[in-house]
Amino acid sequence: MDLAFGWDFGRALIWIVLLPLFGALVNGISGRWASRSLVRAIAVGSVAGSFLLALACFVKLVMLSGHGEGAEGTNKIVNVVYDWFSVRVGDAVIPVRVALLMDHLSGVMTLVVTGIGLLIHLYASSYMEDDPSYARFFTYLNLFTASMLILVLASNMPLMFVGWEGVGLCSYLLIGFWWENPTYAAAGKKAFIVNRIGDFGVLIGMLLLVGTTMSFEFSDINANATSLLIPLRLDQTHSIAWLTTATAACLFLFLGCSGKSAQLPLYVWLPDAMAGPTPVSALIHAATMVTAGIYLVARLSNVFLQSPTAMAVIAIVGASTALFAASIALVQNQMKKILAYSTVSQLGFMFAGVGVGAFGGGFFHVFTHAFFKACLFLGAGSVMHAVHAHGDADLRELGGMKKFMPVTRWTFLLSCFAIAGFPLTSGFFSKDDILLGAAYMGTGPWAAYPSWVGWVVFAMLAIAAFMTAFYMFRLYILAFEGEFRGGPKHGDGHDAHGDDAHAHAHADPHESPWAMTLPLVVLAFGAVTVGFLGLPHWLGLPNVWEHWLEPSLAALPVTEGAHVSLAIGGTAMGVGTLAGLGGIGLAYLWYIKENGTTPARIAASVPRLHALLMDKWRVDEFYGAALLRPMAWLARFAANFDKLLVDGLIAKATSSLTLLGGWVVTRAQTGVVYTYSAFMVVGLAGVAWWYLVPHTGLEYAVRGTQVKLQAAAGLGYEYRFDVNSDGEFETEWSTERTIEGSYEPKDFVGGAIVVATMRPGTREREQLLEGGHVLAFAAADLGPEWQAVAPPAANAPPGTPGTSDDTLPGMSWSLPVRDIFLPYAPRGGEAHSATLEQAHGLLERIVGGESAIDIARARATNDEQRTKVGLVANEDGVDGHVKLADGTEVTFEAGAHTALVETSRGVHVVALDPGELALRPNGARVRVRGADVTQETHLRPGEIAQVGNALVRAAAVVRGTVEVRNAFGYTVRESVDVVVRPDRPADEPAPNAVRGAQ
Amino acid sequence: MELGLGHFIGLASLLFGIGAVGFLVRRNLLIQLMSIELMLNAVNLTLIAINRWMPGNHAGQVFAFFNIAIAAAGAAVGLAIVISVFRLKKSVQSDSVDLLKH
Repeated sequence: MDLAFGWDFGRALIWIVLLPLFGALVNGISGRWASRSLVRAIAVGSVAGSFLLALACFVKLVMLSGHGEGAEGTNKIVNVVYDWFSVRVGDAVIPVRVALLMDHLSGVMTLVVTGIGLLIHLYASSYMEDDPSYARFFTYLNLFTASMLILVLASNMPLMFVGWEGVGLCSYLLIGFWWENPTYAAAGKKAFIVNRIGDFGVLIGMLLLVGTTMSFEFSDINANATSLLIPLRLDQTHSIAWLTTATAACLFLFLGCSGKSAQLPLYVWLPDAMAGPTPVSALIHAATMVTAGIYLVARLSNVFLQSPTAMAVIAIVGASTALFAASIALVQNQMKKILAYSTVSQLGFMFAGVGVGAFGGGFFHVFTHAFFKACLFLGAGSVMHAVHAHGDADLRELGGMKKFMPVTRWTFLLSCFAIAGFPLTSGFFSKDDILLGAAYMGTGPWAAYPSWVGWVVFAMLAIAAFMTAFYMFRLYILAFEGEFRGGPKHGDGHDAHGDDAHAHAHADPHESPWAMTLPLVVLAFGAVTVGFLGLPHWLGLPNVWEHWLEPSLAALPVTEGAHVSLAIGGTAMGVGTLAGLGGIGLAYLWYIKENGTTPARIAASVPRLHALLMDKWRVDEFYGAALLRPMAWLARFAANFDKLLVDGLIAKATSSLTLLGGWVVTRAQTGVVYTYSAFMVVGLAGVAWWYLVPHTGLEYAVRGTQVKLQAAAGLGYEYRFDVNSDGEFETEWSTERTIEGSYEPKDFVGGAIVVATMRPGTREREQLLEGGHVLAFAAADLGPEWQAVAPPAANAPPGTPGTSDDTLPGMSWSLPVRDIFLPYAPRGGEAHSATLEQAHGLLERIVGGESAIDIARARATNDEQRTKVGLVANEDGVDGHVKLADGTEVTFEAGAHTALVETSRGVHVVALDPGELALRPNGARVRVRGADVTQETHLRPGEIAQVGNALVRAAAVVRGTVEVRNAFGYTVRESVDVVVRPDRPADEPAPNAVRGAQ
Repeated sequence: MELGLGHFIGLASLLFGIGAVGFLVRRNLLIQLMSIELMLNAVNLTLIAINRWMPGNHAGQVFAFFNIAIAAAGAAVGLAIVISVFRLKKSVQSDSVDLLKH
């Protein structure tokens, strides 16, 4: 990266996040003992440092994009901090890195978060002066700033989700900051729980995106967005034809956005969130956190463009929210409550904007709204500070504030003009952008998008804009104009947290200190001026904003020739201006000229509607009845279930069982001496029995053709043995407890099979049939898988296989081959994956889409050698080549079936015998029916046959028996079955490499 | 008749049996203590008898002396317990004492 200021900007990004995080750590750990000025210095200083750093990076970004526009790497700064973890999806490994990305979109947002965050930190350092939990407040506020910066700067979805949850947590902590008041604590809890619903949507949406695009990075997801245009898969075989993955993912993501950004139907937490201190309302619940949803939509703009349906839903939900919240704000009497509903309404504007494809316009409103709404909230806080109101300020107790606090009054008024959309203020331009976007969509420039949505949204937004102007000026006039109505009456429960209010409750309202007014002035200045960044393009004016965001946002796929005509632009701007001016005018008329008589008359004429609006459409009550009450019922049911059934029955039953056992055993504890002595006698009797009765403890060892039997040693024991299975003892009674003997074929009582692969260099596998141990079986034990054939007829001529005395009965079979070659497999570098891919392709042709590779791999994981199998087969008529990791090339002949096997020792190409390779759909069984296999082969013990690519050896089972007698004349007997290997010489004790078929 | 090891072992077994049965069936603590002493002495007799036939380094005799010393100490402790029990319960019957239970 180019070093414009002499340092690496790629590494600077993380410090933007870390500075506030350190501030939170320091204040959180040691703030309780530090002085207020130190806490303030750390809190404000860390955000100031973060802001300066962000500014430096932003300037660098501007310089980078200045030259070589569109060239690689010129429009973003990337900071990869470290690899976090990786996720395995099918064959792919998707890495997740802690990486920060500042592009044109996140750059602007970073400036908003740190810049406005700095102003609000400064404001709060004065506003919260008298709060006993000063350090705790700034710990949370700094932590919020850090989380928000993670959310904004994250270059991938998991990291963004960390920030997303982090801001949710801080929001919860700060709403419930004055937790001593149960109402406030409940508001925090409500925000947290409502947001959980949304976060669930974000997770699902994220997984849908990742599952299809195979990347967590925003850039990759946007680049591969068209791959989302497939039906939504439910599992391997089912999918929903009428729903694309894109639509599903977008709607789930929007569910998350509507939680975080307070849209219908999840907006209910935001008005309650005003329980937090006013700077929190300004920073988190107006300027930054609640716009995260719009930011996410803009971040994934190309994904959302894949789903016109989802966008139309977003537009309509946004416009409905705007209208709905504005209608509530019309009649409320609490300053912060009006501002809260106004925020919900403005967020609706933003979503309507991105929903009609005006990503730049919607995000522009995020930007301008941050200024004027932060200013309005801080102004409201300033008023509350002046009249010592806490919680909220009631308009009926205010009035005439303009003569006490001129700075607050002017900044508030300017911000009111901005939010009302008064011409040439910032709100005018950004709201115009959104209205224009809606009107433009109404003309149908994008064929896939229903054009009626555009006009419906336009109409709703226009009405909402009118309402906005009206209620904002109603708020302004009632608070600042007219006569002062005495301020809040104290002792009415507002002061639950008990701070400074009482000391000078009856003093006149006063202007706030500089630390509070300075942010107001800066924000008001921004509220008026920042709009000029986004001058309307259709008038031929330069739109710096849209131009700047162009590299970060996706362009609408408009049809050829569609453009914003002067008529459309004029309509939008005209309607917007009329709505704004009309609202202001009506407020002026009703509240200044008529002094509020008309609204009172209207309210009196429709009392029920008015009451409904005052009660905020009673949505909370509806949720309470429709959702909370059933949930509470369910919870009570579960609790009772637990109490009665689990605790009452199951727990009681088990505990009483234990008690019963204890009771029985304690009966023995009489405390009387002779009880204990009686137990001693019983124990002594047991020991006596052990010595009176002999024990065999028979063990055996096989060494080639030799069988060694050994019985347990014991006082006065004598032994006799039978090693040849005939049931008669070869030895006389003696004290020798070990015998070593050979066997004769006629001694066999059963057969056994030993299987080994034939490949040179691989080890013989001493077993492997049925779970990896030597399987001894008699003819009758042969299961269907072994397809036993009946023993040869008794009258067959001598010499016929299977008839002579020394032939095992029933030794013919067809062998399941899976256990022979599957324990081996390819491994290695890149060539390996290519190999597997090709193998997969070839196999698909043979088995009709069944994934034999997966079958093979699944089985191979059980192998203790940790090797994997790559199974390659070749269909008739197809010649194939596979290049291996070591460079050798393997050729497959047409008509041959081949398994490619790689062990820790290297790669082996194992040719399956010509024959039939049958892979069954259930994948459990691969069976070769080669000439050697289906043929009825009869083996004598020690003989070897080749089956497939395996060697099969016949072994035999002999039965050894020992009889033990002790001095008292008691006798016991034990037998053991021993597998013997005639093929293996006595001097070769361990299984070894196969030396080929004999 | 020559006295052999078997006779000694037989006598010792008889003494041990009398002691064991006495310990099990009698309820008087003093008698039970005496039964224990009887069993100990049966063991001592075994040790000494075997020592006579297999003298070695006379470990059997030495062991018997240890046994006598330990039995004396055991009897002292046992009698002390009997006296305390009597003070507590006004009885020396072992089934009147079940304090170990608690």
